Amino acid sequence: MTSKTRIPIQLQINGHRHELEVEPRVTLLDALRDHLGLTGTKKGCDQGQCGACTVHIDGQRVLACLTLAAQAQGRAVTSIEGLADGDGTLHAVQAAFLEQDAFQCGYCTPGQIMSAVACIREGHAGSDDEIREYMAGNLCRCGAYPHIVAAVRQAALEVASSMETAS
Amino acid sequence: MTVHEIRTRQSESKRGDASDGAIFAEAVGGRLSRVDGPAKITGAAKYAVEQQLEGLSHAVLVESTIAAGKVRSIDTAAAESAPGVLLVLTPDNVLRLNTATDWLGTPPPDVPYCPLARDITFSGQHVAAVVAESFEQAVAAAALVKVSYDETPAIVDLDDPKAGDGIPVDTMTKEWGDAQAAFTAAPVRICAAYNTPREYQAPMEPHGLIAHWQGDRLTVWEPSQWLDGMARTYAEWFGVPFENVRLVSPYIGGGFGSKAFAYGYGAVAAMAAKMLGRPVKLAVTRPQTFTAYGGRAATRQTVALGADAEGRIQSIVHRGVNETSVDGMWVEPLGSVTSIMYATPNFSSRQNVVRVNTVVPGALRAPGENPSAFGIESAIDELAYEVGIDPLEIRLRNYAEQDPEVKKPWSTRQLREAFAVGAAAFGWSKRPREPRSMRDGNQLIGWGVAAGTYPVRRAYGEAMVRILTDGSVEVESSSIDMGQGTYTILAQTAAEVVGVPAENVVVKLGDSRYARAGVTGGSRLAGVMTGAVHKAATAALDELVGLAISDPNSPFHALQANTLVVSEGRIRSPRGDGPDVSIAELLGSVGREQIEAMGDTTPATWTAEDRYKNNTTITMALPHTEGDYSRHSWCAHFIEVRVDEDFGTVRVSRVVSALDSGRLYNPKLAESQWKGGIIMGIGQALLEEGIVDRRHGRIVNNNLADYLIATNADIPDIEVISVGIPDLHSSLLGGKGVGELGIVGVAPAIANAVFHATGKRVRDLPITLEKLI
Repeated sequence: MTSKTRIPIQLQINGHRHELEVEPRVTLLDALRDHLGLTGTKKGCDQGQCGACTVHIDGQRVLACLTLAAQAQGRAVTSIEGLADGDGTLHAVQAAFLEQDAFQCGYCTPGQIMSAVACIREGHAGSDDEIREYMAGNLCRCGAYPHIVAAVRQAALEVASSMETAS
Repeated sequence: MTVHEIRTRQSESKRGDASDGAIFAEAVGGRLSRVDGPAKITGAAKYAVEQQLEGLSHAVLVESTIAAGKVRSIDTAAAESAPGVLLVLTPDNVLRLNTATDWLGTPPPDVPYCPLARDITFSGQHVAAVVAESFEQAVAAAALVKVSYDETPAIVDLDDPKAGDGIPVDTMTKEWGDAQAAFTAAPVRICAAYNTPREYQAPMEPHGLIAHWQGDRLTVWEPSQWLDGMARTYAEWFGVPFENVRLVSPYIGGGFGSKAFAYGYGAVAAMAAKMLGRPVKLAVTRPQTFTAYGGRAATRQTVALGADAEGRIQSIVHRGVNETSVDGMWVEPLGSVTSIMYATPNFSSRQNVVRVNTVVPGALRAPGENPSAFGIESAIDELAYEVGIDPLEIRLRNYAEQDPEVKKPWSTRQLREAFAVGAAAFGWSKRPREPRSMRDGNQLIGWGVAAGTYPVRRAYGEAMVRILTDGSVEVESSSIDMGQGTYTILAQTAAEVVGVPAENVVVKLGDSRYARAGVTGGSRLAGVMTGAVHKAATAALDELVGLAISDPNSPFHALQANTLVVSEGRIRSPRGDGPDVSIAELLGSVGREQIEAMGDTTPATWTAEDRYKNNTTITMALPHTEGDYSRHSWCAHFIEVRVDEDFGTVRVSRVVSALDSGRLYNPKLAESQWKGGIIMGIGQALLEEGIVDRRHGRIVNNNLADYLIATNADIPDIEVISVGIPDLHSSLLGGKGVGELGIVGVAPAIANAVFHATGKRVRDLPITLEKLI
């Protein structure tokens, strides 16, 4: 591999700046997992069908396997490793997933949690049916769906009440 | 010493959720949240192929595009000269490997094993592999490998006219009475054929591994349901001692039966690592997971039921067929539920396997019981309508008071309770009998019931328990947690026995350097390992208390007590007099760094060879009908469906299931596993089907957008109710199997509900709209 086929990329991930030199065809998913050691974002299908690689770019949920690393340049990427507070305090969605046992093997879980955070932020957690629909892009083969719905419902209420307190 | 009386410590414990006044969260039977949960929800849990190794190279497989024939030539020139390529493996330059012993302990033939094929027996077979510096380079170069074939006609599936009737599997034959004559003479007769398609495990974590050689020692990071079995396979392939192979599998992203064996791609990666002298990572792509190992075989059954006018079964005649591969054997035991669910004086079940050009099928959640239940639990529903009685009533009328096949009493069978409790919670008594009698607008509503069962597969286990200097407890086992909750229930077991809070227990799993373990499959792990950890923790506690009583430097030495109590990590006299010290203080005062105890449930007469066989084959497992009892888990599913009258689309709108898995070691986690099984069953009933291209024998829908598994939007709220009681004939602590049970009976319950909604009987899974309009 000659160096001229690589490009320099600067990525802003979980508030930290990373300098990479990778081939242009490297996906954001592989950049996170293989080049930066951030393996919390999972590869379930590598073709945009399962949702396990869901991360946030500028606050929107995206599939990291269908995003080139170069496309994320200059934008804020948040992965599961960046969701909890700096002091380790869990995000309300993370805490609700643990309490409701909303996972078993844990492999789809980071993607489910990133999707759930966005689902609540988008205002799509108004009812169980709405949660089911807006979480349907994240597959879970262990079948934790009813508990995922319960966790998103619980977290949505907590997020709403904390926003009320703040305002 | 009698310091381990569970009830005593529970009553002394001030921790945990005691709201029900019975069981504390941290004790066995408590609703402790997953102890591995924090790692999984923060992304900190590192799965096997996520290890970061210096000098890692990447392998990508090249697969056959024909289903039968020979590889004429492989042109590797373009791939070899592509950027970053380190090695192109073909059958012409592979290392010579040995054939390994299989899981049944069958001695291998003395012929070489080649994981890359010259003779093609199915589409998607590995024929070559490319190893490169980067993953992207390996993917690009693999596309440059040109394989040419001499293609021959393939038998693509069971429906292929060339498939034939197959080979009888005599070990599957079960007969008593004169089933054919009794069926012919019965006043009421039904006979129908029930089919299930190829189905796939589709765990969210695809298969793969990192292989790394250091001299003649091999380390394999690979998701595994059976570290020791797979380590043996790698060792035999490469002709190195068993001890030289280390398998590491700390978390497993779902297995469902598919991650118990080392497969060909593992041999390819380990071979490449050896040839290159550097670690190789091979991640099986999602499409490749459909052919790199086998899913559930397609099955065909006919079930004939003869009954009297009141619906009492006089005879069951059952014939089954499952597909297997051209050069491998997989038997999906189709008569397993048929022969035990209902009492019948006459019975006959036989089975054939048919060779087709597919990868050898494998285990998928409740292999055998799952399709078997689809047959018998659909047929009994048909019989209920034939004689005009309620589908629940006909099940009670034919209730098997003992195992009809082996004529032994059940160890426990809370199936009658499951029917009663489930029916009450569901509101079954309000069900009108006639089909098409409930509707909501253009939706036809139907209610269906079916039962399920799974045998208790017992085996022997061992575990290491240490009490460390700081008073914490460590449990080690080479068994695994793929989401069932092993980390959690073993922490609960050790915490309860030793008398420490569960948060002070560290459970280490998924490394073959730990105390060895057999397969995690057939719903056996929890029963085996809680028993082993209970024994090891008891031995550790005995030693701790022994030290406290007898060591001259112990603060308890002067007390001359016969026993001491340990709870909350503190040691006291049961009478409450004398000192009250922490475990750490005691170890400090007697000058011990740690206490270490191995414990096992194995017979005392076992040799090292017996233990090796126990951990690397299934030959030492105990039959579920061994001794005086027949041991099984049981369940009853009550399901409501809504069928769009115009479009034939089926939605499951309500599920109530009552299940008997004996004592639950952690109800919170067991309920999750039951629901997971039920949800996989909903997918099986309505969505899942491997579609075979008839020209090339390929699986057309080999991805997660086209092989449909249930999504969140397909699943309603599900109510599960435990009706089990402790079954000490099944395991040391009274549990029976959990993981497989939930799926068994779901598909027939849905098919029965669809019949109740529409009046159409669908006997061919999945129940898709074209079968209803």
